Amino acid sequence: MKQNNMLAMILAGGRGSRLHELTNKVAKPAVSYGGKYRIVDFPLSNCANSGIDVVGVLTQYESILLNSYVAAGRRWGLDAKDSGVYVLPPRETADSNLDVYRGTADAISQNIDFIDTYSPEYILILSGDHIYKMNYDKMLRAHKENNADATIAVIPVPIKEASRFGIMNTDEDGRIVEFEEKPEHPKSNLASMGIYIFNRKLLRRMLVADMKDPDSSHDFGKDIIPNLLNDGKSLYAYKFEGYWKDVGTIDSLWEANMDLLDSNNELDLSDPTWKIYTEDVTTLPHYVGPDANIKRAFITQGCRIEGEVKNSVLFTGVKVGVGAKVIDSVLMPGAEVEEGAVVTRALVADGVKIGKDAVAGDAKSEHIELIAKRVKGVE
Amino acid sequence: MAKAFGIVSFAGNHVRVDGLRAYRPAGAFSFLGRYRIIDFPISNMSNSNIDHVQVYMRRQPRSLTEHLGSGRHYNINSKRGKLHLLFTENSLGQDMYNTDIAAYLTNMECIENVHQPYVVIAPSYMIYTEDYSALLDTHIESGADITLLYHSVDNAKEYFLNCNTVNLNKQKGVLNLETNHGSAKNKNISMETYVMKKELFMELVKKAKKISSMYTLADIISRSCEELDVRGVSHKGFFAAASDFKSYYDANISLIDFKTASGLFHDDWPIYTRTNDSCPTQYFESSEVKNSVVSNGCLIKGSLENSVLGRGCVISEGATVKNCVILSDVAIGKDVHVENLVIDRNAKISHAKEVIAEPERPGYIKRGDVL
Repeated sequence: MKQNNMLAMILAGGRGSRLHELTNKVAKPAVSYGGKYRIVDFPLSNCANSGIDVVGVLTQYESILLNSYVAAGRRWGLDAKDSGVYVLPPRETADSNLDVYRGTADAISQNIDFIDTYSPEYILILSGDHIYKMNYDKMLRAHKENNADATIAVIPVPIKEASRFGIMNTDEDGRIVEFEEKPEHPKSNLASMGIYIFNRKLLRRMLVADMKDPDSSHDFGKDIIPNLLNDGKSLYAYKFEGYWKDVGTIDSLWEANMDLLDSNNELDLSDPTWKIYTEDVTTLPHYVGPDANIKRAFITQGCRIEGEVKNSVLFTGVKVGVGAKVIDSVLMPGAEVEEGAVVTRALVADGVKIGKDAVAGDAKSEHIELIAKRVKGVE
Repeated sequence: MAKAFGIVSFAGNHVRVDGLRAYRPAGAFSFLGRYRIIDFPISNMSNSNIDHVQVYMRRQPRSLTEHLGSGRHYNINSKRGKLHLLFTENSLGQDMYNTDIAAYLTNMECIENVHQPYVVIAPSYMIYTEDYSALLDTHIESGADITLLYHSVDNAKEYFLNCNTVNLNKQKGVLNLETNHGSAKNKNISMETYVMKKELFMELVKKAKKISSMYTLADIISRSCEELDVRGVSHKGFFAAASDFKSYYDANISLIDFKTASGLFHDDWPIYTRTNDSCPTQYFESSEVKNSVVSNGCLIKGSLENSVLGRGCVISEGATVKNCVILSDVAIGKDVHVENLVIDRNAKISHAKEVIAEPERPGYIKRGDVL
C-alpha cells in the first residue's frame, strides 16, 4: 500500500535515570509495560497503524537490547517492500569524529543523510518513551489543512501542573503565538507532547543553521521551536485527547500499569482497530492452578499462578507459588514469587525472585518499592 | 540444515472430529487456547533443523493457509527454507479416493525436486513433541529402511480408535500395522511418523497406487514389512491424537494439569504459532478462576473451572464455565452456566441460561452460533 509521504524519527536515546535499576541495562524505551509490551511498542505501533512506512529509531544509552529489539520491524508489520525500521546510533563519519547526540535536534541533524535518502515531504519527530495511542495521519491532515510549517501535538494538563511542561500559547485558530518552557505562571494548559511534524525542507534548513550556532543546545523545545516562532513561521498546535503518559519514575510506571486494571481505562489495549504490536513470545497460555485466587488483574501468557493475585499486573512468564500473595503490585517479565511469599505495593524487576515466605513491599508506603534484587526466603 | 525434509500429512478418513471438522481440517483445530494442532509437527521439524516442510491439504484449506502463511513464525528461513503448501487436486468429493498417496502422487514433482535425501513424515492431527534429528540419526545408524515412531498406551479401548497399532517383534522390528478396534487396553499406537530415504518413499507411493487406489501410506508400509527392514522407536512423553471428538476434548482438558503439560512442553523446544497481537487477559473483581488455561485478550468477570479458554473470550458476570474447551472470541453471557462443552469460535451464549452436557459425552456448540 502506498502510504503517506511522512517519515518518522523516534528519539529513543534517553536513559530515564529516575527509573533506577530498571534502566541500568536498558534504555527507557525498552522498559517493559502493560504485561507484554515495551514502551517503544507504542510509538512504533502508532506509526504502523498511521500508515507510516519508514521509521528511524535514534538510540544511544544502553542500546544493545533496544537496537536488536526495534530492528525486527516485522513485529510492527513494518517489513513490507518499501518499509523498514532503522536503528540509528551515533556514528563516526568522514568529516566528523564519533560524537554522542548532544540534543534532540542534534540527533536528527546527524542523520540528515538518512532522511535525504527517502526525501519525504514531511518528518514526524517522536519520543520513544511515551505511552499513548495516536493517529499521526490525522495530525498530518491537520498540518496540511492549516498549511503549517510545523505542527506540535499538545495535551491539556491540569493548570496547577502546567509549570512542569513546555506550554504552548495559541490563538483561536490553534496557531502557536508563544512557547514557554516550564513557565512559572502558565497562560495556558496545553503541554507539548514532544511530537512534531515538520515540512522536511524547512526542518533541514533549520537544522543546518542550528548546527552552526555555537550557543545552541541543539534541542527541539529549547532551540528549534523558539527559532521558528522568531522567524514568524506558522506553527500550529494539534490537540490530542486521550491517554498519554510519560513514565519518568517508578511511581508513575507503577501507576500507568495500574491504570490498565480499570475496566474503562482510556488506553484500551483491546481495541482491534488499533492494536499495539510487540515481540511474539513462544510461551504457553497462562496457567491458573487449583488453589489460585485472582481478582482485578492483568495477566499475560507464560504466567503460572498458584496463589493469590489482587489488583496487580503480571508480565510474561511470572510465577506465583502456592499460598503466595501479590497485592497492588507490578511483576515484570520472569519475576517469581515463591510459596508463601507476600508482595505488596511493589514493582518487581525482570527475573527477580522473592523467596519462600519472604515479605516485600509495604501497604502503607508513600512510594512504590522497586525490588530489583533477589529477596531471600525465610528458612 | 538437516539431511531430511519434512512432510506434514493430512488426517486420513479414520479421523473424524464431529462438529469442528465441518469448518476446517484437523491440523487447523484450535488446541490449548493459543495453538493449532499443526503447530506441533511443524515446530518439531523446525526445532529439528528441518527447514523444508511440505504441508498437504485435502479439504477446506482456508483456515490452515491463513494460519500457516509464509511460515516465518515457525522460525523457517524464508530464503533457504520453505513451508510449502500442497493441495490434492482430486476434489470430486469422494473422500475414499482422497488418500495421502493420491496427494503425494499429484505433487510428485515437488517431492522429486527436494534436495534432501531423507524424509520425515508426521501427521497433522497428533499432539506430541519429538526431536526428529535424533530420530533421523537413529534411523541412519540402524541401517533400517523405515523407522516409525510408536507410543505404548494403556487406553487403546477408548482412544486412538481406528488409528493403527504396531505389531513388533522383540528386536523392535515391525511385523505389520493393524487397525485399533478398541479390543484391548494396551497397544502400541503408530504415531504415523516415519523416517526413510526420499527414494524409497517415492517408490512406495508409486507401488501403493498400483496395488489399490484406496491404499494409504500406512497400508503400503504394513504390506512391505516382510521385504523391508521396518523398525519401531518408542516415544516417551505426552501423546494424544485428535482422532475423534472425545479424544480432542480430553487431550485439551488433560493438559490443564501442569505436570501433564510438562511432558509436552519443554523450555528448549518452543512450540511456535501465529501471533494474534491480543493484549493480556483482564480479570475483574468478580472473577473466580481455578485450574484453567487462559489465553490472552480475554475479559473475565465470571467463574471458570477446569477449562481451556481461547483468545479474546468474554466470560460475563455471574457466568459459570466448567470443564469446557472454549475456542477464540466466544462470549458467555451474564448468569449463563455451561458445562462439559467444546464451544467453537465466535459462538455467543446469552439466552440459553444452562447448557450442560454429560461428562462422558461432552457437547459441541457450533462456530458462530448464537444461543
